[in-house]
Amino acid sequence: MSAGPSDDAVAAGRLVRSLFMRAAWFLATLVGAVVLLQLLLWAAPGDPIDLLPNGEELRPRLEAEWGLDRPLPVRVASSVGKALTGDLGTSFSVRPGASVSELVSSRASRSLGILLPALLLGLALALPLARLTAGRGAVARRLVEAASVAPVFLVAYLSVHGLNELTFALIEGDWIGRPGWFALPDQPSALRTAIAISVLAVASSSLAELHGSLEAEVRHIRHSGYYEAAIARGAPTRALELVNLVAPLASLAASRMTFLVGGLVIIEKVLLINGAGALLWDACLQRDYNVAMGITLYAAVAVCGARLVADVVRVLIDPRLRAST
Amino acid sequence: MSELKRWLAPGLGGLILVAVVLTWLFSLVTGYDVIADVDPSRASLGPGEGHLLGTDHLGRDVFWRMVTASEAFVGPSLLAAAVTLVLGLPPAGWAGYLGGGVAHLVRYLYTVLGSLPRFVLVLLCCAIYGNETVVIAIAAGVAYAPALGEAVTARLEELRSADFVAAARAHGVSPARVLWYHLLWVNCRPLVARHLLYLFGYYLLLETTLSYIGGFGVEEPVPSWGNMLAFEFHVSDGNLYAWAAPALAIWLTILATTLSASALSGVRRA
Repeated sequence: MSAGPSDDAVAAGRLVRSLFMRAAWFLATLVGAVVLLQLLLWAAPGDPIDLLPNGEELRPRLEAEWGLDRPLPVRVASSVGKALTGDLGTSFSVRPGASVSELVSSRASRSLGILLPALLLGLALALPLARLTAGRGAVARRLVEAASVAPVFLVAYLSVHGLNELTFALIEGDWIGRPGWFALPDQPSALRTAIAISVLAVASSSLAELHGSLEAEVRHIRHSGYYEAAIARGAPTRALELVNLVAPLASLAASRMTFLVGGLVIIEKVLLINGAGALLWDACLQRDYNVAMGITLYAAVAVCGARLVADVVRVLIDPRLRAST
Repeated sequence: MSELKRWLAPGLGGLILVAVVLTWLFSLVTGYDVIADVDPSRASLGPGEGHLLGTDHLGRDVFWRMVTASEAFVGPSLLAAAVTLVLGLPPAGWAGYLGGGVAHLVRYLYTVLGSLPRFVLVLLCCAIYGNETVVIAIAAGVAYAPALGEAVTARLEELRSADFVAAARAHGVSPARVLWYHLLWVNCRPLVARHLLYLFGYYLLLETTLSYIGGFGVEEPVPSWGNMLAFEFHVSDGNLYAWAAPALAIWLTILATTLSASALSGVRRA
């Protein structure tokens, strides 16, 4: 059975169709997120402007901007349209008058610089660990779990505090001089970023979840027919195992993204890193809805984007996924 | 021996969770006055002398604050669980068992809700509806619902073409009874219980994190394991137990939820 050109064309058509469906699902989810956020604001008791500390002063501007005099469906539709064109309104208390999309974009790169390395570090730790412990009883898994369930804020505080104590002890004992990397809290420091990345990759069950899921996948692969056949043939199994782990790895990374974004807000607040997460916290405290919703939307884009990338990777390497949907 | 080994970790987790719930009930009946307890003359005492875990640097009894802090998460997490069950079970049951256009809609709604990170959604709800425990609990329940809903939908899709479902339908059992009794109650109980345990751990994590960072969650002088830690960390001197106790309590309780949940996870793979 040789594959003729028509078969190739059919296969390519299926691939394009699958990719198109995934992209459409991505867009539909984002539109849904904008609608959901608008509904959250609409469901506030009274009207959302009443809740603002300086609400009456801002009322004319906000009523015009949010279109509160128009019916809800019109408002929601217009906010979807604005969001799709990148217009997220202006900040009214965190940085009054600043455009939300500019404000968030300037902070987002620092946050991404923590988020993506944390994701990669988590995978890089979990993958060898899972391959090592798969099929060796539950003790290893329990140990990883026990170390990894500690909350992000606790691990972050303890590591910074421990490092401080250690450094002071070393300086007092004249072991080292006063190091140059003693950064002031408001300045970005490579050390604090590194702590943020490692804490995010491990704490709040991050590592335990990755390890547990990957271990199950490795066990599944090692019990499957093709793996046993490879052993029987004397063929190398390591590459086979890794190739078959790519698809589950992509899905896992995408699903971890949601939790890492939440953890990012916490770690930025605890370690005083001026990223989008810390900005979200401040915007929520000051009830700057435009900024808070703008960042939430960016978070949704990160989560859905990760899912889209994972889906595309899986569709590209697994032809079975192309026929469905 | 292997039975003992298998149940050791989940049993230990279960015991810790029972202890936490008993502490909560104990706290509800005793009623400790958080404000009257301030007495700087006995600040930063070690354990003993009438204070089981010593005092913090305002002279407040750490043990009693630990006990009272259970009220910050046990009760609200029950509310969160109720919200998650309402939003996570009936729609997922419909989508997983009946399928069709409604199933697509339900799946889409879960995807949209799940695209917002839980912590971000809770923060946003606090900003819009106010920093009330009820708001945090309901928001946490809503934010957790997609996890339960998607898991139940997937499980029901596996089961709906099973022989026992066809047999029940052939015997004239109504679809509602097949769904609620045969599918959800008999076959999804461990799955749902596992998610409720995770939700309990998640709520504790959420509440202590919010209270630790401050501005949202439980605020002084009302105790939470989170704000007890923040209070000790910012003025760290004196009694070691004042921060070690809440730190250990948070860690052990969350560990207990994952340990006890692991006893329920084997059922799903079978």
